[in-house]
Amino acid sequence: MADTMGHSATTTRNTSVAIGIVLLAFAPQIFEFIWSIGTIFGWGSGPGPATVLISHATALFGGAPGAMLGSFAADAKKTLSSDVLLALIYSYPLIVVAILTLFMIIRAPQDYIGGIVLMAVALFALWASSDLHGMQGFKFGAGTAPRMFGGLLVALSAAIALTGLLSEGAGLSHYSWRGPLFVMAAIVFFALAIRPLGLVVTAFVSFLIAATGSHETRWIEAAIVGACLTLGCALLFPYVLGLPMPMFPRFLVQ
Amino acid sequence: MVDLFHNLGLGFGVVFQVSWWSPWWLFGLSLPISINILMCLIGALVGTLVGVLPGIGTVATVAMLLPITFGLPPVGALIMLAGIYYGAQYGGSTTSILVNIPGEATSVVTAIDGHQMAKQGRAGPALAIAAIGSFFAGCVATVLIAVLGAPLTKLALAFGPAEYFSLMVLGLIFAVVLAKGSVLKAIAMIVFGLLLSMVGSDIETGASRMAFNIPELADGLGFATVAMGVFGFAEIIRNLDAGAEMNRDLVQQKITGLMPTRKDLIDSAPAIGRGTILGSILGILPGGGAVIASFAAYTLEKKIARNPSRFGRGAIEGVASPESANNAAAQTSFIPLLTLGIPPNAVMALMVGAMTIHGIVPGPQVMQKQPDLVWGMIASMWIGNLMLIIINLPLVGIWVRLLRVPYRLMFPSIVIFCAIGIYSVNNAPVDVILAGVFGLVGYWLIKHDFEPAPLLLGMVLGPLMEENLRRALLISRGDWSVFVTRPLSAVLLAIAAALLVLTVLPVLRAKRDEVFTESEN
Repeated sequence: MADTMGHSATTTRNTSVAIGIVLLAFAPQIFEFIWSIGTIFGWGSGPGPATVLISHATALFGGAPGAMLGSFAADAKKTLSSDVLLALIYSYPLIVVAILTLFMIIRAPQDYIGGIVLMAVALFALWASSDLHGMQGFKFGAGTAPRMFGGLLVALSAAIALTGLLSEGAGLSHYSWRGPLFVMAAIVFFALAIRPLGLVVTAFVSFLIAATGSHETRWIEAAIVGACLTLGCALLFPYVLGLPMPMFPRFLVQ
Repeated sequence: MVDLFHNLGLGFGVVFQVSWWSPWWLFGLSLPISINILMCLIGALVGTLVGVLPGIGTVATVAMLLPITFGLPPVGALIMLAGIYYGAQYGGSTTSILVNIPGEATSVVTAIDGHQMAKQGRAGPALAIAAIGSFFAGCVATVLIAVLGAPLTKLALAFGPAEYFSLMVLGLIFAVVLAKGSVLKAIAMIVFGLLLSMVGSDIETGASRMAFNIPELADGLGFATVAMGVFGFAEIIRNLDAGAEMNRDLVQQKITGLMPTRKDLIDSAPAIGRGTILGSILGILPGGGAVIASFAAYTLEKKIARNPSRFGRGAIEGVASPESANNAAAQTSFIPLLTLGIPPNAVMALMVGAMTIHGIVPGPQVMQKQPDLVWGMIASMWIGNLMLIIINLPLVGIWVRLLRVPYRLMFPSIVIFCAIGIYSVNNAPVDVILAGVFGLVGYWLIKHDFEPAPLLLGMVLGPLMEENLRRALLISRGDWSVFVTRPLSAVLLAIAAALLVLTVLPVLRAKRDEVFTESEN
């Protein structure tokens, strides 16, 4: 009885891992789709969301299987579009891994998932370098080294994932959301605001955003330290060190 | 030998070079100042500060200060950055001994016996022995760099691309052997780093690789950006996980009597000697540097002690040896950089960055073409060590006061400083976001027990390796056997293979793990 319960527990766990890997398999396509939504509002350039959706869908469901069958025929490879290649090199292998995951007993989730994600990175790099020239005679092309290291990383990460199946090991460690979220928010705000708003405003606001990352922050204290730090930076970087940097918001200066 | 003195003389000449400074508020009067000594002092002070404060490491600091060196003369810039690295080795021990939190990864083992000594009211002697050991090790390492510099440079000039490639393979294998944790994971991290270094335009063909038509990626990922993300931001995020309020049982009573007793000195003298030798050797080897040196030195002391049970209860050898070892290693790790042009660890990789900012290509030719730079730096290390012993012993009270600054105020400040530092390298906001992304990557890597240090090493050596591999194969007309038919290259590869086999063997693996377990109990 206990045995079957334990088994069912791992199965549910495995399904969520497999779903995660499937999501990872489509991550570039999803990212490009979300990115393309911006074009509706006129941010950035590139194909609209509908075009992106259609081209990826045809690549995933039509083009790639066709190419797989057709690859036995000569010269079929050269005509493949990059979307089809993405499906072939990146998405399909990961989907295969996801399906396999369903039937595995994961003994060390930390290693297994670490290996799989690293493998995804390697496969993605293989795809990204697929448009580059390979070996030309004994001369290295631009794509030779990336493909070499990409292939090596696929093998190594597969081995890491395998150790996660074969030997007992650590489980997934706990991720907290507060620290990463607010520290990242502070960084992104800094990057976006430094040009238009200048160092003084940006540094102070970023300081407060970052300080939100800890639940122990006391606001008055943080504001005072933030103000002092801002003053220090405003004197140190542009004047003492001579690094050119906008100081005040653009609309105030003009 | 005559050469050696001549070179060191040249170096000290460079360091003591006096220039006249006439600020406007002195109305035409001039003051004699030595910029290089000033830089050395600043480096030592910043290094001590970084070493004392837990939560900010040397890699992040050097990355942060890279843009500052734009405006400095190259010698001064390198002297300052070097000072930060070995200064941090001094400062790290202060926190370890007084607070039981290592200020620096290299002082982890110092905390074991050092803090026990402090609890027994012997904080003064512990601090003094740590500083004296570091100073002795620093002096020996400086001489070692001076002695080994010239012959190694000659050897390096005989290297062809095949030898360089094999040497780098050996270096990376060393990095794997000396890294913590799984060998497989360490190799995977190196290859990941190699892959990251491929982003950007290809050196030979100019083709854009893996840049997705993003203009900011066309030049490749900045090494400082990645280092800052993986070592700076990731560290902060991880510390926040644990709760910002770290358990700091600061030794409150006033530190009285810095002077160690005669018995302390007799006990620790051989330990300092052993630590220095071990540290010097491990520092030259790529990959480990100061961290592994301190661990190994502690393990060695425990092994050869007549009464090992004293360790962990305030044995002075447990402070003397690792502290000497980490300082020796921090300095001897300059040897491969200065003679071969190959950075053995992440800090040295950033030094390469600083050199390239000033148009210096690291390698054997630097020592011949710019002897004042190399020897000035070497001479500055001795002077820096002298300054550090003063900074650390009589002024220890000031540094202790800094430790009272709570982490909840420190971490937002570090985030801001890092962001400004990254931004000012290229005046590019995108770099700041990239560093943030790599901070998340680093956080993920920590959560999955991947070591970030081999990743950075791979990233630095990537372009060098690719270039030499290409060149070697071009010269041999595509014949891969060139790596084993050239004797020097074959020897290097054989050592690399043997090392890798040895590490995987279960007996030695247990030994290797033993070195790293000290910190956990």
